[in-house]
Order: sequence, then C-alpha cells, then structure tokens
Amino acid sequence: MPIGTDLLLHEEPEPEVARKHGPALGRVIERAARRWGTPLAMPLMDLRLEKIDLLTLAGIPEHEADGFHFDTAIAPSALAALCRYDAPLFRAGSLARNEALTWIDTRTNLIPVGMTIGPFSLMTRLLADPIGAVALAGSGMTGEDSVHLAQQCLQMAEAAVLRSMRSQVEHGARAMMICEPAACTAFLSPRQIRAGSPVFEQFVMEPNLRLKRFLDHAGCDLIFHNCGELIDSMVEDFAQRLHPVILSLGSSRRLWEDARLVPEDVVLYGNLPTKSFYSDGAMPVEEVMRRTEELIANMRACGHPHIVGSECDVLFVPGAADAIRAKVEAMMQVAAPA
Amino acid sequence: MVSKDLYDAVLNGEAQKATAATKQALEAGAAPMQLISDTMIPAMAEVGRLYESGEYFVPELLLAGRAMKSAMELLRPLLAASGDRPNTRVVIGTVKGDLHDIGKNLVASMLEGGGFEVIDLGADVAPERFVAAVAERQPQVVCLSSLLTVTMPCMKTTIEALTVAGLRNQVKVLIGGAPVTSQYAKEIGADGYTDNASGAVGLVRSVVSAA
Repeated sequence: MPIGTDLLLHEEPEPEVARKHGPALGRVIERAARRWGTPLAMPLMDLRLEKIDLLTLAGIPEHEADGFHFDTAIAPSALAALCRYDAPLFRAGSLARNEALTWIDTRTNLIPVGMTIGPFSLMTRLLADPIGAVALAGSGMTGEDSVHLAQQCLQMAEAAVLRSMRSQVEHGARAMMICEPAACTAFLSPRQIRAGSPVFEQFVMEPNLRLKRFLDHAGCDLIFHNCGELIDSMVEDFAQRLHPVILSLGSSRRLWEDARLVPEDVVLYGNLPTKSFYSDGAMPVEEVMRRTEELIANMRACGHPHIVGSECDVLFVPGAADAIRAKVEAMMQVAAPA
Repeated sequence: MVSKDLYDAVLNGEAQKATAATKQALEAGAAPMQLISDTMIPAMAEVGRLYESGEYFVPELLLAGRAMKSAMELLRPLLAASGDRPNTRVVIGTVKGDLHDIGKNLVASMLEGGGFEVIDLGADVAPERFVAAVAERQPQVVCLSSLLTVTMPCMKTTIEALTVAGLRNQVKVLIGGAPVTSQYAKEIGADGYTDNASGAVGLVRSVVSAA
C-alpha cells in the first residue's frame, strides 16, 4: 500500500481543480484505496496546509506563505493570537481536505485517515535557518535570539497542528497521520543528543506527546511518519513513547532490525525507496521487485507486523509518471497474497 | 597553523570565539589569506572528515560553517582591499519552482569554508538567472540544488539554458539534493553529483583541477 493519492490525483482531467474540491478529492482518495486494496483512505500528502493556515491568521496571504519566515521575536500578544486553538481553518486546501474526510466517512466503508505536518517539521518551515537555531539550542546556547524565536515558532506550530487535527477529527478522521520528516539527524545532532542535550525531547517529543494525548482523548489512532535519517533512540522514542498504531519509516532504516525497538502492537509500515522510483537508471523495476521480496522475507522472519509500502508520498513527476506507476504496481504485485 | 584558537573555534562551531580569535590573530600581524589557508581551511577539512566518519552531523557542519563565516566577515574587507581572492568561484542556487534552501545554504557555507568564492542566487532560481550569473561573474562551477522530484527537471532545463547561451563549456555543473542520484546527473549531462554538503567541497576541487 503506497501513500500514492498524488499519483491518482494526476489521473484526473484537472488535478488542481480536484485538489481544492472536497468531494472530488474524496473520490480520488477512495480510488487510491480501492486501487491498492486497502481499507485505509490515505489522504493527499500536502504538508503546506498548516503553514498556510497559520500564516493566514498572521495576515500573510497564501501566495506568500511558502517563502515566508519569521525573523524577529514575536510580541506576546501576537503569539497568543497565533496560538489560538479555536481559530477556523481558512484556506481552500484545508477545507477540501476536511470535506474529503466527510465524503469518505459518509459514502464509503473505508477508514478516513487525516494527515498533518508535525509540529517540529512545521517549525522548521517557519524559520529561515532552523538547523542553526536547533543546533544552538542543542549546544546549550538557549539565550540566543534565534533559539528564542525557534521556541516561539514551535509553540505556534503545535497550536496550528492541533487546530488542524481537531478540525479533521470533527470531519470524520478516525486515524491521524502526523508527518515529522524534519525530526531527523539533518536537523537534530545525534552527537548532541548522546552528550545529554534535551533538544530532541524539548523540540520533538514533548509537543508530539501532547498531540498524542489529544488524539487518545478524541478516540483517533495515531499513524506516525518519519522518512528522515534516524538513530535508534529516535525510532525507539517514536515507537514506544508515542505508541502509534502504525509507524512509517524511510528507506534508510532496515525495518526488520527496527522491529526489536518497536512494541509488538505497533505495525511497521514501509519502506521501499519510492523517492528514487522516477529514475529507471537508479531504480529499475527489477530492483524494486528484488527489494520488495527481500523486505517481505526479512519481516516474515522477524515476525513483526508489517505493511509493505512506500517510504513516503509517491509523487507524480512529469515525464516519469509511467515509470513510477510501473514500479508501484511491481511492488504491489510482489506483495500480493499468493 | 597560524591560530590554534581560531582552528578550535571553527572546529567546535563557536562563532563568537572565532570572531575573537580572528581579531586577535590579525592584531598579532597574521595575514588574512594565510589565516584562511593555514587555519580555517584545515579546520573545515577536519570538520568534513569528522562528518564523513559519522562523528559530526549536519548541525555540526552548520555551526562550523557559521563560525567560519563570522571569521570571514572580518577578513573579507581586508582581502578585497589587498586584491587577494579565492581562485575558484562558485555560483549556487536552488532551481526554479523549489523554495527549499537549507541544503543549498549548508553547501554554500561549506564551500566558503573550503576557501571558494560563493555567489548564492538563493532559491527558486530560473534558468535565465543562472545564465546571467555565469555570463557576468564567470564562475568555474555552478551548483544546482533541488529537494523535490517535481522540480528536478529544472536542473536539466538550466543546463540546457547554459548550452543555448554558449556558456556550458565554460563551467562545471554539479547537482545535489535529496531526490537526486548520480544516475540522474549523468542523464541530464551534469559534471558531478554529491549527496552531502561536506562532499561538495572535495567534488568542486576535483572538477576544477580536472578542468
């Protein structure tokens, strides 16, 4: 089961229209679930939506959202306004996502799955130099202006993610995928973590644990996704402390080795290297099939519950869409029950 | 080594100490170019070695780059006044349609730390801007960054634009970014590829020396 709604969206005659129309998006999500024989209606992975909604609250128009970064400390009153938990969602993408959830929930027998960017990953998109700020925090230089701003952005990010999750639950989501691709060794130094820095705890685990508590209270399951480069202690924390129903990891991990870090009741998902499916040179179909067979065999041997899938979203790429689709089909063919 | 304090400050990613050590070294009569070549470049080379060996990670690279940059802020005006300049000029940018710049910034930082002159065009850079920068600044190397598979084709169109402009043979084009592979580099006619910021320094050196 790939996270592949984007591929099917681009089979629509007008993908960009469907993207912003709830029922049309719902139909695409349903088609993706039926195409790959899964009860999970996996949404379109659009990790820009929470930033767009947050910046709308700040008066920044949508077309400026992608490139906007906070660069000075935010006044307490402004911060409070941006951390409102009750603000409505404004933008077309978020509204369509909610409508699609309702469509799936009321018109199909599929499990509606919501999705949001994680608070740490959203924080990194609110800053021009997130690695620098987090690195300074990790080295103990917590008095630096950039660290203070990062902490403020993390507060805003957590609030934005909570608003998004609450809204999606209200529209029928019964599972929520939190995507934290930035919570990895590119942004968080294992050297600092091993030296005892609380940076991973403060910037990643604490906000995500709070969000998990909300989901538990709302009766909504957590699917936790992180396709970045990780160290074992990160996998352990995600699996054991967040305790998602499904843990989705990137292709840098060997899931059959990670199984020892993951409780028996957490399903491992992934992790074929779909980011390189666009290239027949780098990843021919035969190699996809070989890796799928190897993954299945190793996971069977270790006995841990596993869903064969993609390491992340499988994006439509102009000029490579057929190559990508062929490899997804090959992966599914190998994984099909005999 | 001209200044152990500066070497250690860069190695440990301590920007304020790097600034202080640079001031001290200059006051003691050290020549700016010598500080770069005998202290800062070796420090960044050691940073790169520690990264390759898995002891340092991206945050350490970035902090070291910032320390190097803070020292360079003192040295750059002195170099300009004396007419000294790095031998190799690199133009770098994230391609059109892609706003991700963290990786590109890290590479730019490492390249500057490696003693190269870096002209950073930023993110979402159209092929025409790369062409204009090459025509005007005459770099030896152009580095293209892309973090998304959907924007990777812009690397190819940028190379094609350089060819159409008659500038392709004047530069080496290197590419990098999360979805990029060496195979893709060959397919689009790039001269090289790296999958990490630290490797970019060695790659630039090797393509320039082979030219």
